[in-house]
Amino acid sequence: MMLKATIDADILKESIDAISALVTECRLHTDETGISTRAVDTANVAMISFHLKKEAFESFSSTKSELGLDIAKIKNIFGMMGKENLLALELPDEGHKLKVSFEGYQYSITLLDPNTIRKDPNIPNINLPGKVVLSGSELNNAIKAAAVVSDKIALGIDPATQTFYMVAEGDTDHIRREFGKTEVNFINGAEARSLFSLDYLKDMGKVMSRAEEVELSLGIDHPANFSFYLAGGNGHVEYLLAPRIEAD
Amino acid sequence: MRFIDFATYCRQLEGMSGRLEMIDLIRRILPGLDDDDLPVFVRFVMGRIFPDWSPLKIGIGPNLLFDAVTGIVDGTRDDIIHDINMTGDVGTAFENILSSKKSSAYSRRSTQAATVQTPLTGFLGQDAEENSAVSPVMTLTEVERDLHRIATAQGKASQEMKLDIIRSLLSRSKPLEGRYIARLLLEDLRIGVGEGNMKSAIARAFEVDASLVEHANQAINDLGEVALIAKKGEPALREVRIRPFHPVKMMLAQQGTISGTIEENGMVAAEFKYDGSRFQFHKSGGECRMYSRKLEEVTGSLPDILEMLDTAVDHDVILDGEVIAIKNGRPMPFQAVLRRFRRKHKVNSMKEEVRMVPHVFDILYLDGETLIDLPLSERRGRLDSVITAYRAPQTVSDDPSVIETIYNDALSAGHEGIMLKVVSSPYTPGIRGKNWIKIKPAVDTLDLAVVGAEWGEGKRAHLFGSFLLACRNEEGELILLSKVATGFSDDQLAEIYALLKDRVISQSGKEVKFEPFLVVEAGYSEIQKSPNYKGGYALRFPRFVRIRDDKGIDDIETIDGILERYQRQSA
Repeated sequence: MMLKATIDADILKESIDAISALVTECRLHTDETGISTRAVDTANVAMISFHLKKEAFESFSSTKSELGLDIAKIKNIFGMMGKENLLALELPDEGHKLKVSFEGYQYSITLLDPNTIRKDPNIPNINLPGKVVLSGSELNNAIKAAAVVSDKIALGIDPATQTFYMVAEGDTDHIRREFGKTEVNFINGAEARSLFSLDYLKDMGKVMSRAEEVELSLGIDHPANFSFYLAGGNGHVEYLLAPRIEAD
Repeated sequence: MRFIDFATYCRQLEGMSGRLEMIDLIRRILPGLDDDDLPVFVRFVMGRIFPDWSPLKIGIGPNLLFDAVTGIVDGTRDDIIHDINMTGDVGTAFENILSSKKSSAYSRRSTQAATVQTPLTGFLGQDAEENSAVSPVMTLTEVERDLHRIATAQGKASQEMKLDIIRSLLSRSKPLEGRYIARLLLEDLRIGVGEGNMKSAIARAFEVDASLVEHANQAINDLGEVALIAKKGEPALREVRIRPFHPVKMMLAQQGTISGTIEENGMVAAEFKYDGSRFQFHKSGGECRMYSRKLEEVTGSLPDILEMLDTAVDHDVILDGEVIAIKNGRPMPFQAVLRRFRRKHKVNSMKEEVRMVPHVFDILYLDGETLIDLPLSERRGRLDSVITAYRAPQTVSDDPSVIETIYNDALSAGHEGIMLKVVSSPYTPGIRGKNWIKIKPAVDTLDLAVVGAEWGEGKRAHLFGSFLLACRNEEGELILLSKVATGFSDDQLAEIYALLKDRVISQSGKEVKFEPFLVVEAGYSEIQKSPNYKGGYALRFPRFVRIRDDKGIDDIETIDGILERYQRQSA
């Protein structure tokens, strides 16, 4: 058996939501320690690194392998699952169909040939000096507020006042939200400011809203890195989002 | 092959004026392509994305393209449409837009500084170039795969997904690549490489006989695959067979006269010319499918016809025929049939209104054997042996008076006229040759492309009110011929509006221009010489007759045809 596991439906759903915020298909790596994937969205603007430890599962056994997942399809299938049910996953050796059983349903999901999916990107190594930690739901609220007036948002850190801020400017309207020391934990209050597309942030924000804490790393006209845990600390997600920069 | 190389070749071809020069360049490129790139290259250069037999359609109108590009550069849709108006071509406009990502041309109407989305690539360290997932180099097959995903996207989120894929393609494109991606998405590369040139190039590239290339293409209807087979040599080309469920182009007919045709050929086979919709019926292994004249699959819209033919034939076959609509024993106008072809939903309710009858007149394939090379008389024999019902009656004669009688019978029975077919002729898919001659009363109507319109006034203010019509020349360029503003019912105007509203490529004042795809039949009283139109001719008293959505842009009247009609009327 390549993979045999049972998992809480809610955890699986959360994991799939985290991946589907950026990509519609991915290469999923499994080994005895758990499952992981790293994928870049089709426009090369954002990357997700995702890891779910075997401790997140009720039971888990797997050999080292690579599966091609049609995330969009799987998301549709799991859309009908209730919460707090256990779900069983099974993939025989050399199998191309993932068997999923929950609530009396037996699904057989055809996997994609991993070779038809873009290769995993390398592990990024970017120096982002500004680091803050804030609540996922606060972050998501600010993103939603910004989306009302604009399609992009600036995220920054002002070292002088020790504030983390987000600014969105529309053609006619403007919104600014500052977070002081009481709301945000400054790990490194270095100066930072970059502009990001809200198209991406909105989808990522929905996922992050469930995380108690999100660690956000920023630079000047550099990507933003959002790092957070799910599944009670047994799952970890990192989003890396390239900035928009002023055209010269 | 990298897509930028493909785009560079396209630019070279676009700059060439001579046919031979173009063929020569393609001939030199083809042998160097691997088996994955070769068919894609051949299709793409002709502005085709899928094999001709394939039911897949990319289905991208200019509107979706504008939405996509608006997402990657700052600036409004109007800015972009303005750019297209300036260049008159979506491809060149996209090229300019993509180069202006750097020059901020799009900040001109925005109060804020323009910004552009950077890719992650630049931030991922030195080895990013060789990191294929974020590699900015697009290949020909990657682009093909993305276009395939667009065509197969289904469901409620499919529009958004198509938009995402187009954005992703465009955001990875260098400006020159953007020019040809945009044109590919609209399936018109504007470099002037048509099927004829491509066939010559394939024959010369792989040193095979041009007639074998032609024949293989007639059988499998995909020059991309023909090129692959040609690469293997002449014996492989000779082995090519027709395949069930790969529709073959339909053989077409020329106008002619009874006496002329008999004089030239002696014995001819005469059949009624039915005013219905041409179909091709495929049956293999118990499965049946039907295709329209444009080779679109219409299996679902004609369940009754499918059932009749399925029951009538007990072999694997491909049949050629025409469906007509009958009401009280008389054929109904063509419009009634088309309604059924187009109507994919409510099929059952339509079934009650008019009775549809298939008339089968040819057979192209029987139990694994390709029949198109047999003479008509032998094909007819095979047809008679596999099906007795629904056969179109045929009379073979060399007596003009016998044929005249059939012609008069056809007209009095409410049919369009007759077809005269040379008994010794093979079935030549896609060819409008002298082996099939149509005889019908002279009607002064033309099939023309709708290329522009003006917004209506009064109660038609929200619709297009009048239309610009074009014919084409030998190279496939469209030539303006007439404006038509009469002959429409309100329903027809609404229908035309629905068909064209997403095909607008530019607008200025009350005038709009369309990506050409819609064909209409227009009547007129006379063809006149006119300095106002580029082709030198115009229609007098033009009027709209009907939409011809069974016809494509390639099927419209040619400027030579117009000239011929002009000379005939002044003779």
